[in-house]
Amino acid sequence: MQDTLLSSPELLLVRYGELALKGGNRKFFERTLARNIRSATKAVSPIDLELHQGRIHVIPERRPLEVARKLRDVFGIKTISPAWGTDNDPEAIVGMAGNLLGQILPANPEQPVTFRVRSRRANKRFPLDSGELDRYVAEKILPGPERVRVQLVDPELELGIEVREQRTWLFHERLRGPGGLPVGTLGRALCLISGGIDSPVAAWMAMKRGCSVGFITFHSYPFIGESAKKKVIDLVRVLGRYQAQSRILIAPFTEVQTAIRDAAPEAYRTVLYRRMMQRIASTLALKYHYQVLVTGDSMGQVASQTLENMTCVAAANSLPMLQPLIGFDKEEIIERAQHIGTFETSIKPEPDCCTVFQPRKPVIRGRLDECLKAEQDLDVEGLVQRATEAAESLTLDPEG
Amino acid sequence: MRIIYLDNAATTPIDPAVREAMTPWLNEAFFNPSSRYPQGVNASEAIDRARAKVARALGARPENVTFTAGGTEANNMAVFGLARARQAAGEQSGRIVIGPTEHPSVEESARALVREGFEVVQTPLDSHGRLDLEALDQALTPETVLVCQMYVNNEFGSVYPIQEVARRVRARAPRAALHVDAVQALGKLELSIEELGVDSMSVSAHKVHAPKGSGSLVTRADLAMQPLLFGGGQEQGRRSGTENVAGIVAWGEAARLADQHQSASSKHYEAIRRAFADCLERLDGVRLIETGAEHDSRSAAICSVFFPGPPGEVWQHHLEAKGVLVSIGSACQAKRKGVSPALLALGLRADEARQVVRFSFARTTTVEEIQAAGEVLATVSNELGAIGR
Repeated sequence: MQDTLLSSPELLLVRYGELALKGGNRKFFERTLARNIRSATKAVSPIDLELHQGRIHVIPERRPLEVARKLRDVFGIKTISPAWGTDNDPEAIVGMAGNLLGQILPANPEQPVTFRVRSRRANKRFPLDSGELDRYVAEKILPGPERVRVQLVDPELELGIEVREQRTWLFHERLRGPGGLPVGTLGRALCLISGGIDSPVAAWMAMKRGCSVGFITFHSYPFIGESAKKKVIDLVRVLGRYQAQSRILIAPFTEVQTAIRDAAPEAYRTVLYRRMMQRIASTLALKYHYQVLVTGDSMGQVASQTLENMTCVAAANSLPMLQPLIGFDKEEIIERAQHIGTFETSIKPEPDCCTVFQPRKPVIRGRLDECLKAEQDLDVEGLVQRATEAAESLTLDPEG
Repeated sequence: MRIIYLDNAATTPIDPAVREAMTPWLNEAFFNPSSRYPQGVNASEAIDRARAKVARALGARPENVTFTAGGTEANNMAVFGLARARQAAGEQSGRIVIGPTEHPSVEESARALVREGFEVVQTPLDSHGRLDLEALDQALTPETVLVCQMYVNNEFGSVYPIQEVARRVRARAPRAALHVDAVQALGKLELSIEELGVDSMSVSAHKVHAPKGSGSLVTRADLAMQPLLFGGGQEQGRRSGTENVAGIVAWGEAARLADQHQSASSKHYEAIRRAFADCLERLDGVRLIETGAEHDSRSAAICSVFFPGPPGEVWQHHLEAKGVLVSIGSACQAKRKGVSPALLALGLRADEARQVVRFSFARTTTVEEIQAAGEVLATVSNELGAIGR
């Protein structure tokens, strides 16, 4: 009964998670998710998109498996099932089911396999209810391969059947999406990004919870070369897999660092750099309509991340600040970075601006009054203004 | 801003004559050189003419010139091809001896052969940055099957005494093949495989004003070598794959020009280096790193300079911001971020070795450019001189 080689799947059944729970906002969430799906797949294939109850049907014109792979990075999506269609007719369904089972059985004919059929009937005019259809299909296809045994709980293979108005869809796998909320449903955040491991992970976590994330980085040319800037852009490009378009602001930082070097106590340089970064980022956030800042801080990881120093830094900031990695260990952050795909880029050896005039012994328990005192000799306002005015803004498409 | 390009050991600008020679092969003459119609035969003849030019420039016979995708492929082909040919001939895997400052395409290839049963021994530099010939003697054993020694060092232009190395290899390791990476020598030194008395030599087109993507391995006649690439049997079976006709034509012309300009070039490079050394003398704490003496000489086309204060990288970016393009270490090392073993051998500490910047010249470099670069150096030196670290 098998042996017609299956063609590519016709559509992708996309299931989304918690956004269905969000009551009145639901339409907005669904539309945002649909838009994100379109932009994530547009370079691969034109798609048709149908919104059904709790499901999105994505119908790619070509390369369906590649489209499915793209969808695995779209926040808000829980699972994706490539599906094959047939007529709303029990015999046709049985034919397709047998075919599908034949394709997915493990190659080793000795190996026994547990299996179940699970149907959903959205079309109530279909003659069998879902339990009847399960049994009907299972009974018809099972006499074939003898090694297949029905097991209703936790089987190795599951054949899914969805009976819809026009057609019935069959599938055998559920690819995991990233979960979370569709990017753009929560608001806009500006992430301070360096070439390191942490900040790209922090940006990803903000995206996962529905933020549309912009980026700001600081560049101390010519103490730091163009390739350090390119590294940050490369990281943003990797993160572009998870949101449609990314803006990156590149603020010149040489003047700030030189001024701090000349005016402030050496031990306070790093803390003061970071206070200036907060000010510049806050100013640019307002200009570009970001509501919050995001940083990759994790408590106690480096000298500038003691509670005292983080307090000194946060005090310079006029916007709320999200620190999604605050309680993570380095190993946990690295694991995420590997999963996200930024790790390989992050570990390329490039200096970043924090290494410029790096203090030999940075202060561990910085004091805010010392920061304020040191800043009395700095033209804080002028430095912030010049850096924000000279900041360069790039928009990166996932493909470019 | 005026750009002064002083990183010619990384790559060189394309000579207009070279560009012109290759153009027809990118346009109407696009045919496959293996095709039997006249257009294909015509392409195949163009490759033969290029082969003759490269052969003449390198003192080899045309049939012993194999076109590759560049120096890295030529080095891989030599190391794997020569070592595996010895193995295929039923000999013991044996020893591979590599020089102290080999390009990664030689060193990493040799190290990869450890998995195939070969033993790899690297010879040291002495404290003057010269080849340690006594250590070489000791490394050479009758079991040695391959010796690799570069000709011109890509960091300070030291010229290693290849003829002397060849003499010792023949005496102590008579079964060994001697491969020479001559990538930085072409156009700078008289270069002849016969005169040097070596078995194979690799060269790269883009170091002599041709586009990237071409190069050659030249060999002495009857040298047994296993191919790296199998397929349609092009290049007499030594390197399968449809030939890069336009690139090969360009490379042939570039090799011819490099050879033609060679004797004039030596004087030119000496004049450039003298002008450059004059500029450096006026700067505080800046010094040209000199290597070699006695049996070594140097190519004036490559200089390494020690700068005080911040790391070489900071100097490099300050110079580039004013239009002077240079590099820290070789381009290959710049990607790998290692500290140059050659600089350590010269007695520099690791942090000092990071304060070294490489300047390299081409036949297109002018004394006037060097003087203009000298002005920039003086300005940057003032800016950076004040910074402790």
